[in-house]
Amino acid sequence: MDNFFNEIVELFTTPQYIDSMLHGFALTMQIAFFAIIIGLVLGTIIALIDTAKKSKWMFLPKLICKIYTTIIRGTPMALQLFIMFFVIFAIRGFPQVIIAVLAFGFNSAAYVSEVIRSGIQSVDGGQTEAGLALGLSRFTIFRKIVAPQAIKNIIPALGNEIITVIKETAIVSMVGLYDLNMAAKDIGSGQNMASYIVPMFTAALFYLAVVYIITFVIKCIEKRLRRSDRRI
Amino acid sequence: MEEKILKIKALKKVFGKNKVLKGIDFELAAGERVVVLGPSGSGKSTFLRCINRMEEPTSGEIYFHDTLITDKNIQKMRQDIGMVFQHFNLINNLTVMQNLTLAPVVLKLMKEEEAEKKARSLLRHIDLLDKAEAFPASLSGGQKQRIAIIRAMMMDPKVLLFDEPTSALDPESIGDVLSLIHEVADAGMTMMIVTHEMGFAREIASRVVFIDEGKIIEEGTPSEFFEHPKTPRVKEFLKKVL
Repeated sequence: MDNFFNEIVELFTTPQYIDSMLHGFALTMQIAFFAIIIGLVLGTIIALIDTAKKSKWMFLPKLICKIYTTIIRGTPMALQLFIMFFVIFAIRGFPQVIIAVLAFGFNSAAYVSEVIRSGIQSVDGGQTEAGLALGLSRFTIFRKIVAPQAIKNIIPALGNEIITVIKETAIVSMVGLYDLNMAAKDIGSGQNMASYIVPMFTAALFYLAVVYIITFVIKCIEKRLRRSDRRI
Repeated sequence: MEEKILKIKALKKVFGKNKVLKGIDFELAAGERVVVLGPSGSGKSTFLRCINRMEEPTSGEIYFHDTLITDKNIQKMRQDIGMVFQHFNLINNLTVMQNLTLAPVVLKLMKEEEAEKKARSLLRHIDLLDKAEAFPASLSGGQKQRIAIIRAMMMDPKVLLFDEPTSALDPESIGDVLSLIHEVADAGMTMMIVTHEMGFAREIASRVVFIDEGKIIEEGTPSEFFEHPKTPRVKEFLKKVL
């Protein structure tokens, strides 16, 4: 037991170790943050195309979106990461972090689009008809009627997706990026502490803390949004 | 001399292989109250919903005050063609007051204060002023439908389309909704009503139209229609429902 406490002290007081840990954590957060931004923006665009009214102009964009989400959701994230690193961006000197951000962003977009699409489609179509019958434009109906209700359905699932992305970035260690997961493995290895338990549990706590904070924030947002459901 | 509000020529609607409307010719004059009857699946709701393009007609022409309705002008036309739905379709994220004022204010037909004043007077009229700030989820079906009716009235439509307005209501609320429709009719509103309430149809209609298998089979005044039906199909229908 003594040994365990000593190792904790060692990890947190050896500048080399704790710096590596924090650097790894920073990289994890960086990749996750930008990937989530890309996922949200691209995912929203795909969802809007997907739910747009059918017309001959929308046929091709809809088809492309369909193929995109099918491929992304049908193949492993780790393989997509490899393809991005070793096939699409097999360019010497291209910043690896950017490749990772794009890989996770493009992956997340497919899931985000599904979340948003089902959120939009869960709003009962009768309300859109009521808006149309009153002479409102489709844009106004979306902005005033569909979107506010869809958001309530979307937020919890979107929270899940954000959490998934943060945790999934751990696989960048497979292509040699020094993220939190990699840092834990490195610090625990033979050349360093020669014991995995403390660095790995510490890394787990870092992930847990972030996920906990995000869960809390999402709950708060949900609560705020639910205010318009109050029955008087 | 009488002004035609709607003229419908050879209206057809096909869903996939299913021919729902097989060529309907119809005219509606100002002040008329036309009740559309027919067995379920006869196309009467589709007929009504084609008028304000809730359904896109497959072919045929619909004129509103002598202007051909097209995809381009329908949005503007809908301001004058009110519709009341079977399932009320109140907007859930808006209060009753916002449901009433949204369209007139967004479409710049009224200032907000003006719209609220009008909404309050209509709400007072149907005895639901105390629900102005309530959300639809807290209302009963009958209350929702009466609010949906005054929401359509907020736009001062030239014609009001009722698509089975009482079919989703409990027997007690039906009376409230029907008497509101009666009041709107007495105020001179031109209307078309799809309904299964035969007693109500007979009272309110100035003309009855009977649709079966996508065609108008018979039409006439309520007394002609109910007491001296001409076609065997209508005789059979009336025998079953009366």
